[in-house]
Amino acid sequence: MKRSWASLEEFEQFLDNGGIVEPVDDMPREYRQAVFDFIEMHANSELMGGLTERDWIPKAPGLRHKMSVIAKTQDEIGHAHLLYMVAADLKIKTREEMMQDLFAGKSKFHNVFHYRAKTWGDQVAIAFLVDAAALVSQQAVFKNCSYGPYKRILRRIIAEEGFHLRFGEESVLRIAEGTEVQRSMFQESINDWWWPALQLFGPDSKPNDLLLRWHIKSERNEILRDRWIQKFVPLLQGYGFTIPDSGLRRNEEKDRWEIGPIDWEPLKQTMVMGGPDSARRISEASDSWDKTGWVREALEKVSV
Amino acid sequence: MSIEIAVSVQDIHAAVETVNDPEYPGISIVDLGLLENIKVNEIGEVVIHLIPTFSGCPALQMIAQDVREVIEKLSGVKKVDVVWLNSPVWNVSRVTAKAEKDLAEKFTVAVQLQDRKVECPRCQSETTIKSHFGPSRCRSVHVCSGCNEIVETLRD
Repeated sequence: MKRSWASLEEFEQFLDNGGIVEPVDDMPREYRQAVFDFIEMHANSELMGGLTERDWIPKAPGLRHKMSVIAKTQDEIGHAHLLYMVAADLKIKTREEMMQDLFAGKSKFHNVFHYRAKTWGDQVAIAFLVDAAALVSQQAVFKNCSYGPYKRILRRIIAEEGFHLRFGEESVLRIAEGTEVQRSMFQESINDWWWPALQLFGPDSKPNDLLLRWHIKSERNEILRDRWIQKFVPLLQGYGFTIPDSGLRRNEEKDRWEIGPIDWEPLKQTMVMGGPDSARRISEASDSWDKTGWVREALEKVSV
Repeated sequence: MSIEIAVSVQDIHAAVETVNDPEYPGISIVDLGLLENIKVNEIGEVVIHLIPTFSGCPALQMIAQDVREVIEKLSGVKKVDVVWLNSPVWNVSRVTAKAEKDLAEKFTVAVQLQDRKVECPRCQSETTIKSHFGPSRCRSVHVCSGCNEIVETLRD
């Protein structure tokens, strides 16, 4: 049944009371746009993440790792597929338009996919630090998300991402117990990926953040970031690795870790497609889309 | 003459039932039809035969490890082997009604049984297939004709 609201205030009242919006509802234009932008960015990020993962299939050390990388690639692309469908259903852009905007550098994806993974250590750091950061933010969105289809898909994505994190933890454990060469490779990866992973949460939320007001997100960026810091600082230190932050200190009174100042410039660069690997990533995604066109075409014929 | 049994098949079965699918927390691998049989001898050597939903499933090692852990905890167990069988081949008819209900309620995931239309887990309307593959080989993606829900569907 299609529902509508007389005013934005009435709609906000509905959201504040825990109301869940469905695609058939007559939702306010601004809300529709905000939900769409958020899901489109999530979908783009899953696709870019899947493609990064894919690059490591031939290079994974051993059959077990190879299987896990294949599985993760499949999952991420599958998540992108579901999310693009949910986004397209909002009828702001078609799926084709979303793909074209991504390849033209006109739409956003997470900052971490604007960097290049150079070694297996980088891949493990991503599987550990970045996947966990993504999971922390997705869990927070899921908890209180006002857009029904997105909330339901997130539930399944979160279950699968939790499964990925087990792979990540296993891989880190293997590297941590490895040779000095392996350990120093991983330390370099932590040095390179710590700050990008931490910036995945974004700068502190503004007081008037519409995503929070409309219950698309349920927790402030700085709270999520801090939750991740409190977990990963002791974990990495426990394995004998160093956090690349000279300002990091332990506040014994408050029983928590406090980090040094964050340089947001690299994040800003990634938002305008000016990250160290942005151009190559986008062109690879576009090439991959062109090369796999025949598969989509063939599957469409089977479906009919 | 009675034979002392170190550990019963029932106890082992109950333990395997506590192992959940890593991608569907809260849904038992037994209800998803992955358990084929259990063998145990009088000195407590246990062999668990499992079948995968598809042979390339990435979760096999994790599931086997989880099963081994719960069985090793049972008293009287001396040794555990978890073996993935190539046959019989898993199909959706092995999924129990309980798992089907849980998949629908907790994950809005449908189960495609042969000769049966896939219904939307939310509004029970008919769905149409959108793509043959979802996030894994054992899942397709349908769209509900009633509420537009994107429905992941467990399939052969």
